[in-house]
Amino acid sequence: MAHLDRRRFLQLGALAAGSTVLTACGAGSTAAPAPVGPTGTAATGEITVWSWQGPAAMMKALVPDFTKEFPGIKVDVQDIGNPAIWDKITSGLAAGGQGLGDVLHIGVDYLPAYIEKFPGGLADLVPLGADKHKGKFAQGMWETVSRDGKVYALPWEANSAGFYYRADLFEKAGVDVEALRTWDEVIEAGIKLKEKTGVQLIGIDKPASVGDSAGFFQTLLQLQDSFYFDMQGNITLDTPQAITAMTIIKKLNDAGLVADTAGGWNAMISSIKKGAVAVQAMPTWFGGIIEETVPGEKGKWKVRLPPAVTPGGKVSATVNSTHLAVANTSKAKAAAFAFAEYVLTRPESQVKIYKEKGIAPALLAAYDDPVFHEESAFFSGQKKGEIFLDALKQPSYVTNYTADYSRALKAVTDAQSKVLLKGADPATVLKEAADLIAQQTGRTVLR
Amino acid sequence: MSTVVSERATAGASAKTPRRVRRPGTKAAPYLFVLPALALFAVFKLYPIAWSFWLSLFRTDGALQSFAGTANYERLLRDPLFWTALRNTGVILVVQVPLMLAIAIGLAVAFGSALLRFRAFIRLGFFLPMVTGLVAYGVLFAVLLNPQSGLVNWFLGLAGIPAVPWLADTLWARIALGLALTWHYTGYNAVIFLSRLQALPRDHYDAAAVDGANAWKRFRHVTLPGLRPVVLLTLVMSTIGTLQLFDEPYVLTNGGPDNSTLTLGLYLYNNGFKFFDFGYASAIAYALAVIIGFLGIVQFRFLGDKS
Repeated sequence: MAHLDRRRFLQLGALAAGSTVLTACGAGSTAAPAPVGPTGTAATGEITVWSWQGPAAMMKALVPDFTKEFPGIKVDVQDIGNPAIWDKITSGLAAGGQGLGDVLHIGVDYLPAYIEKFPGGLADLVPLGADKHKGKFAQGMWETVSRDGKVYALPWEANSAGFYYRADLFEKAGVDVEALRTWDEVIEAGIKLKEKTGVQLIGIDKPASVGDSAGFFQTLLQLQDSFYFDMQGNITLDTPQAITAMTIIKKLNDAGLVADTAGGWNAMISSIKKGAVAVQAMPTWFGGIIEETVPGEKGKWKVRLPPAVTPGGKVSATVNSTHLAVANTSKAKAAAFAFAEYVLTRPESQVKIYKEKGIAPALLAAYDDPVFHEESAFFSGQKKGEIFLDALKQPSYVTNYTADYSRALKAVTDAQSKVLLKGADPATVLKEAADLIAQQTGRTVLR
Repeated sequence: MSTVVSERATAGASAKTPRRVRRPGTKAAPYLFVLPALALFAVFKLYPIAWSFWLSLFRTDGALQSFAGTANYERLLRDPLFWTALRNTGVILVVQVPLMLAIAIGLAVAFGSALLRFRAFIRLGFFLPMVTGLVAYGVLFAVLLNPQSGLVNWFLGLAGIPAVPWLADTLWARIALGLALTWHYTGYNAVIFLSRLQALPRDHYDAAAVDGANAWKRFRHVTLPGLRPVVLLTLVMSTIGTLQLFDEPYVLTNGGPDNSTLTLGLYLYNNGFKFFDFGYASAIAYALAVIIGFLGIVQFRFLGDKS
């Protein structure tokens, strides 16, 4: 029963935290008493922005210039941390929006659940003028943030699937990575690489020790225009596409090419530092992380789009995105929207963020900046920005995460653990996972 | 505490005033004193408990609620993950709790022994894990048990034992969880046992010694029976704690691999805060409360004071 209390406590805690934030804002407003009405105006208001690590730092850096343009708006950017931010937003929404920040940074994997399960929790941005930005973003982005004629967020990042690799190691093994067409060829190359250099191909958190260890599996699905759910919300984990994706993972593992990065993020970073794996099958933003992690390996790394799953298949996929939403309970919605607009729809802001943190914008106009077309010294003189821009321009499959994504993700990571740790059969574990999700959510399995 | 307050209040009142004359308000005073505590209890305990029961009768999709009657409870019976969580929790209860309490009794006897030097320091050492923060504790064990660079595997390596996949294997993850729990709570229980040991009358031991009982017989026939009330106390508390177990699997294993360390507490949390299914989470909470109540009654029956 203490857990009931814990849960209520968290909710009450969120309330308390919220009122503290409000009081804090109130205390700071003595110098310039800005009239803050229930709706606020674009020119005035005090807003709190919730984000995490890198993006939070970049938004903080944009605040001084923003304040010059909007002197009536006071912005407080808070680094809530990821994944802590999801629990905090959930508690806030469950408490009827009490204590939420005004601007909320939300990943595409959480957005549908927030929209569906907490109707009215996030503000509709259309009345604030969101529609005028509709055509400015990469393909599919507007669909991911809007529903039933309402727009719940402005797109920020659009991450394409990437394939970062240690060019020096593959060279030593005599493998031409650019020539690899399919993942089956990658497995062959990986075996060669391991024989010659002793280095494993990729890393996966095999026991799913920190939750999200399915990024690679999802990429393989999305390269086949497939996902856990179809557009109608049916479960599509039992499809040939899903079985093919999991089979690739099993083949890699059976060949001894998968390093276990149990422990999540830190373990993965240390595997890069140690040079334990040769490939990072990670999205656009990860390039910045590699540069930060092993600055000494400048010129040793290269990047390309991932090989296709089946011969002649797709090599581009928009694998995830993040967005800025406005809380419906915000007392300064217009001011909050003005800040989101400033960060996301001005190419200058996005270029600055890309330069510092390598976060790829969904805003297409940003890509006119030369920074996206420069040769990257770290990535062996490649034009990294252009490689991902090409992927972003390809027809993109819109992923339906649905409100039950987190349940599905749990079932999928458990299935993957069974394959990686016990050598289970991909088709069997995926069928079990699909059935479990159906039992828990009442959705239909498409077979 | 409330009884102490009320006794004192009436004693004081009757000392100063004649018996038959009561000053108005004297009777109300104790109630006034306990009122703040009662109010807090009502707001922070009773209300959430009642509200959670109400919630458990609804199908909740985040903020959307529709009355579902007993559907959540029926769903529990058919949910394979609920049974997995219940089984995992049961295994910990049956294996880890008796082991921990046995070690705690041993430690308590050692703490009380005149032969032990630096007693205060050693007692502190065993009790200290109890006050370690959740995150520090989790990080500590994650570092110690890291399969590649962990200290535990390093020591095992020195002894020629191959590296153990502490958190990556279904069996070893359970063992790792048990080790962490034992480290955390044994000292706490030992201190409770020790306080009882120190309250045991010396003459029982003297009498036993006169009768020619050796150390083992004294332990078996004097110490253990004397400890019975606190054995019941620690057993009931450990049972409740184990059934509600959340922190350790959350930080160490995230319930994995493949749900081998998923506990009822963690499953409840996941349903509420990861899957936004508050109604179902509440049903789990009530199922948990019923199980705890049942086990509590059983334990009192078998170990309770028979006098």
